[in-house]
Amino acid sequence: MASTITTPTVRPQAVHRRKRFSLVYLATHVVLLVVGFFYLFPFLWMIAGSLKTLNGFFTQGLSLIPDGWVWRNYVDAWNVARFGTYFQNTVFVTASVVLLTNFFSSMAGFVLARTQIPGRKFLIGAILVTLFLPRGYTIIPTFETIIWLGLNNTLWAVVVVNTAGSLIFNTFLYMGYFSTMHREIEEAAVIDGAGLMRLYWSIMLPLAGPMVATVTLFTFISNWNDFFTPLVFTLGKPELRTLAVGMFAFVGENSRDWTLTCAGAAISIMPIVIVFLFLQRYFIEGIAGAVK
Amino acid sequence: MAAIASNPQRGVARRQLGRRMREHAWGYVMLLPLIVLTLTFVIYPIFGSIRYAFYNWDGFGEPEQFVGLRHFITVANDKYFWNAFQHTITYTVVLVPVQLLLALILALVLNDPRLRFSNFYRAVYFLPVVTSAAVIGVVLGLMFARISANFPQWMIDAKLVNPMLGIVNDPRLIMPTIIAVGIWHTLGYNMVYFLAALQSVPRELYEAATMDGAGRWAKFAHITIPMLRPIGTIITFLAILGSLGVFDIVWVLNKGGPFYASDVVSTYIYGYTFTSTRGGSTANYGYASAAALFMSTLVLGLTALQIIVVRRANRQRNELQA
Repeated sequence: MASTITTPTVRPQAVHRRKRFSLVYLATHVVLLVVGFFYLFPFLWMIAGSLKTLNGFFTQGLSLIPDGWVWRNYVDAWNVARFGTYFQNTVFVTASVVLLTNFFSSMAGFVLARTQIPGRKFLIGAILVTLFLPRGYTIIPTFETIIWLGLNNTLWAVVVVNTAGSLIFNTFLYMGYFSTMHREIEEAAVIDGAGLMRLYWSIMLPLAGPMVATVTLFTFISNWNDFFTPLVFTLGKPELRTLAVGMFAFVGENSRDWTLTCAGAAISIMPIVIVFLFLQRYFIEGIAGAVK
Repeated sequence: MAAIASNPQRGVARRQLGRRMREHAWGYVMLLPLIVLTLTFVIYPIFGSIRYAFYNWDGFGEPEQFVGLRHFITVANDKYFWNAFQHTITYTVVLVPVQLLLALILALVLNDPRLRFSNFYRAVYFLPVVTSAAVIGVVLGLMFARISANFPQWMIDAKLVNPMLGIVNDPRLIMPTIIAVGIWHTLGYNMVYFLAALQSVPRELYEAATMDGAGRWAKFAHITIPMLRPIGTIITFLAILGSLGVFDIVWVLNKGGPFYASDVVSTYIYGYTFTSTRGGSTANYGYASAAALFMSTLVLGLTALQIIVVRRANRQRNELQA
C-alpha cells in the first residue's frame, strides 16, 4: 500500500528491485522452513519413535522413518501402560475446571460489571491486588487445606485447586467484557421482569461467546498440560495420575520401554495439537487479545 | 457504637444499605464461589505459609516445635539454596533477553504482509507452546539420550562432550540444555504478543514517516520500537516471573541433577516438601515454607528494584529528550 503511494510511476530500477525482493523472500522462506523443521523435530521424532520396534529405536538413532509400523505400541500404551486411564483422568480434570471456571468467573464478572451491589468497589480493588500478589510457593498450606477437606488423593483436589487458581484472572477478563456491553439490552430484559439470575443466564452469557472461547482455550491448555498440581495431589494414588504425571512416572518405572513412552507422549500431546490446528486463529487471537 | 446508633442519619443510611444488600441477595450468591475459593486457595495459602515457617514440622498433626527464625538463618546459610538460587537467576537472565529478541525478530519477519504463508509459519513456531512441558521433557530426555549415543568423534576428541555422561548427566551441559529447551518451548507466546502489538501500530504513522523521507531503520527505531515498548514491558515482566518459578522441565529432565547441577529454587523447595532426598529422614514442611518465604521476599525485592530502575531510566531519558 505504502509503496504504491510513493512510487506512482514505474521507474527503470523498480523492475530490478522487484527481482531482488523476490530473492529476499525466497531466502526468508528457506530459512523459515529449515528452522521450522528443526523446531518441530522433537515432535516428528516422537511420532516416528512411537511406531518403531524396540530394537529399531535403539539402532536407528534420530531417523524419522520407523523400521516397522508397530501400531501395537499405541494399544499397549493405552492398556498395559495405563495411558487410557490417565487420558480419562485428564479429560475429567480439564473438562471440570473449564466448566467451573467459566461458570464461576462469568457470574462474578457479570455481577461486578453490571450491578451496583454494595461492596462492589472493595471487591474490584481486592481482585486487582490479588492479581499482583506473588503466588509461586504456596503449595504447602494448599496441601494442608486439601487434606483437611478430605480431598487428598482424589481428582477433585486438582479440580478445586486449579479452578480456584484461575478464577481471579478470568473474572477480571469477564468483567472487562461485560462492562463494554450496551445498557439497552439489559434494560429491555429488566422491564420484561427478568431477575438477576435470568438476566445473566439467558441474556448476558449467550452474548459473551468470544470471551467464553478465550477463557475455555486458556484453561484447556493450562490444565491439560499441568504437571505440578496433579503431581502433588496424586502422589499416593497412581491410578489418579493425569497424562503429564503418568508420563513422568512411566519413565521412572519402566525405563526400557522407550517406544511405549513415545506412544504415550503422542497420546498425551495429540489431542491438544489437533484442537490447536483446528482452532489456531482463536488460540492466537485469544492470547493476543488478553494482553491488549 | 452507641454514638453511631443514636445518629438518626447514619441509622437511615444503614437501613438503606441493608435494603440494598437484600435487593442484591442473588448478586452475593453469584459472587460466593469466587470469594470462597479465592480466600481458601489463594489468599489463605499466601499468608498461611508464613506461620509454618517458624516451626519444625513434618506435616503430621499440629506444628508444635517452635523454632523462631532458625529456618530462615539455615536457608540463608545453606550453600545448596544459593546454588539453586544462582541457577534460577542464570536461567532467567539468559532466557528472557534471548527469547524476547528471537521472538521479536520472528514477529517482524512474519508481520510483513507481502510474506506468503505467514499463518503457516506462525502455527509452526507456536506449536510447542500448547504442549506440556512435562511430556515434552520426557521426549527430549529420550532424544538427548539418542543423540548422546551418536556423538560424532570430533566432539568427543575436542572434549565438548563426555560420551560416558551424555547430555542430561553432564553437569556442564545440563543448565544450557534446560535454558535452550525453555527458550524453545515458550517462544511462541512472545512471538504472538509481539505480532499483536505490531498489528496495532497505526499504518498512517509509517506512511507519514515515508512522506517525510524516513528510511527503514529510522522508521524501525522511531516508530516500531517506541510503539512496542508498553507491551514489551508487560511481556518482559511475565517472562521474568515465569522463569523464576521454573519447575516442570527441570524436574522431568533430571530432577535438579546431576548432583544439584540444575537444582532451581522450585525443585529445592519441592525436595524438602514431598521427598526426603535431602539430608533429613522425613520431609520438613516448616523448613520448606521458610525457604519459600525467603525466595518470595527475594523476588519481591528484585521486582521492586526492577521497577525503581526502569522508572529512573525512563525519567532520565525523558529529561534528556526535554
